[in-house]
Amino acid sequence: MQLLDLPSRRSEAWKWSDLRAAMAGQDDVLIGSGELGGEGPIAALAQIMGDAYGPSALEITAPGETFESRITEGDAGQYGSVIVKAGATATLVERIGVAGSRLRPFLPSFSRITVEPGATLQRIVVQENAVAAGEAHPAIVLNEAVITLGKGSTFRQFVLGEGAKLARIETSVTIEGEGVEVDMKGVYLASAKRHIDLTSRVAHAAPGANVRQLVRGVARKGGRGVFQGKFLVERAGQKTDAAMAHNALLLEEGAEVFAKPELEIYADDVACAHGNTAGQLDEDAVFYLRQRGIPDVEARAMITRAFLIEAIPDWMDETLRANLEARIDAWLGTPA
Amino acid sequence: MLELKNLHAKVVPEDGPAREILKGLSLTVPAGEVHAIMGPNGAGKSTLSYVLTGKDGYEVTSGEALLEGESLLGMEPEVRAAKGVFLSFQYPMEIAGVPVMTFVRAAMNSQRKRRGEPEVSAPDFLKLSKAAAAKLRIDPDMLKRPLNVGFSGGEKKRLEIYQMLMIEPRFMILDETDSGLDIDALKVVAEGVNALRAPGRGMLVITHYQRLLDHIKPDRVHILSAGRIVKSGGPELAHELEKSGYDQILKSA
Repeated sequence: MQLLDLPSRRSEAWKWSDLRAAMAGQDDVLIGSGELGGEGPIAALAQIMGDAYGPSALEITAPGETFESRITEGDAGQYGSVIVKAGATATLVERIGVAGSRLRPFLPSFSRITVEPGATLQRIVVQENAVAAGEAHPAIVLNEAVITLGKGSTFRQFVLGEGAKLARIETSVTIEGEGVEVDMKGVYLASAKRHIDLTSRVAHAAPGANVRQLVRGVARKGGRGVFQGKFLVERAGQKTDAAMAHNALLLEEGAEVFAKPELEIYADDVACAHGNTAGQLDEDAVFYLRQRGIPDVEARAMITRAFLIEAIPDWMDETLRANLEARIDAWLGTPA
Repeated sequence: MLELKNLHAKVVPEDGPAREILKGLSLTVPAGEVHAIMGPNGAGKSTLSYVLTGKDGYEVTSGEALLEGESLLGMEPEVRAAKGVFLSFQYPMEIAGVPVMTFVRAAMNSQRKRRGEPEVSAPDFLKLSKAAAAKLRIDPDMLKRPLNVGFSGGEKKRLEIYQMLMIEPRFMILDETDSGLDIDALKVVAEGVNALRAPGRGMLVITHYQRLLDHIKPDRVHILSAGRIVKSGGPELAHELEKSGYDQILKSA
């Protein structure tokens, strides 16, 4: 695979996340064959990087199990598949850690996930960045999951993205069976010199799905957040009930957020909605808190924290929730 | 306790020219007293409350505002709060995701920290909260919900007074606390306010109507018009105003 094969901002799906430009400094990682059977660039890169160990495959049959994977600088890429067997319940936690070392700071991971009829999958992706706020670091994080959902299955997802030189967490869901429940939530935190992109696509190829998506993000000066969300409802997707929301706060002047919510509907009996907002903290609310004695910095953090935490789902395990809230608190406590 | 001397202030909107609203306002509220400020729309009542609490967008061009001899002007809003200035907002803000009790405890402890006092302990806080809620007939479950989100106008006003009882400020400004309250709620709120009357405290009650002043009896009543106090008197002035209207009083002033 050559640098020139990578998508750049000329490609619609990557127009705000120019992978080719970001990779220009580290094209030595681009080895191996470019023949990858129609999968996208993240899959291709994860496969090239993961070659040393070969693909992983996981089949889950026992109920209620949690599987955790971790990828950090210096690791090979991960490329694998997961099948949640009919009626099984599983939780997958993927941690992607940028630690700030000078090891190979390129972290691609890809998984192909099948959720069989009646099964439930909870997927949590935590993209951490331990580099001090405002400090440049060349890490590039790419994560993609391609998920197919069988009849009566449930898919829940939460993504926390702390960004990197370029970080993209992409989720592509295809609803293949009737009566599927989907709950996708996410939070992104874009401080200076960080780019975080949450891209998702939900294709409805079967009727009666109930889909909820909520993404909340914040950006500081010099930080960039990207949200791209698409609901595609095919003719077969009658009685779909789907709602998408993305709300961003620009905490400082010079912060950037790009958003593209898309609905593409070919069925005639559906309820689909999307809402998209990007704005600043409500100064009247900040004043209200300060009038009660809460210092300016804390008042802002308190309002911002509450805004973000609303996107952490109720089904989240308590320990993990505490960990996620602590990461958000740490981010908010970081001086601008 | 509170001394305002020839206060001039303008409102500076982000988009538009500055306008002078307070034009030489002078007023003294001695410790232990409750003073009412009445006046027609646009007289500068809300501007006065924001100037005293330090909201952005209001600029004092001349004059003084002293609390116990110390100038408030130039202090950050949170510093004024810790000095004991409390504003019961005309339109309390909805703060999503922050439960009432979490917020009030954070506010109390921020103020205490700034004054070098120890934090309120969890049992003490709960005891105080229970007593304040009972006094104002607030459902305790309401205090676990996000601040003001989905609350009715009356509930929001009750919650302002709940915060006031918890924070125990030295100087209180009530900006149209009666708006949005029915008669029963008005009585409950007034009882809460009256519970805070004390020799070391002062209060400024801003209102359109005399109704609230039947329940919170002021020591003095001032009429604010076009940015200045144009007439002052005893509680009877409020009744007079109610009977003959602002036009009549302003003409005779």
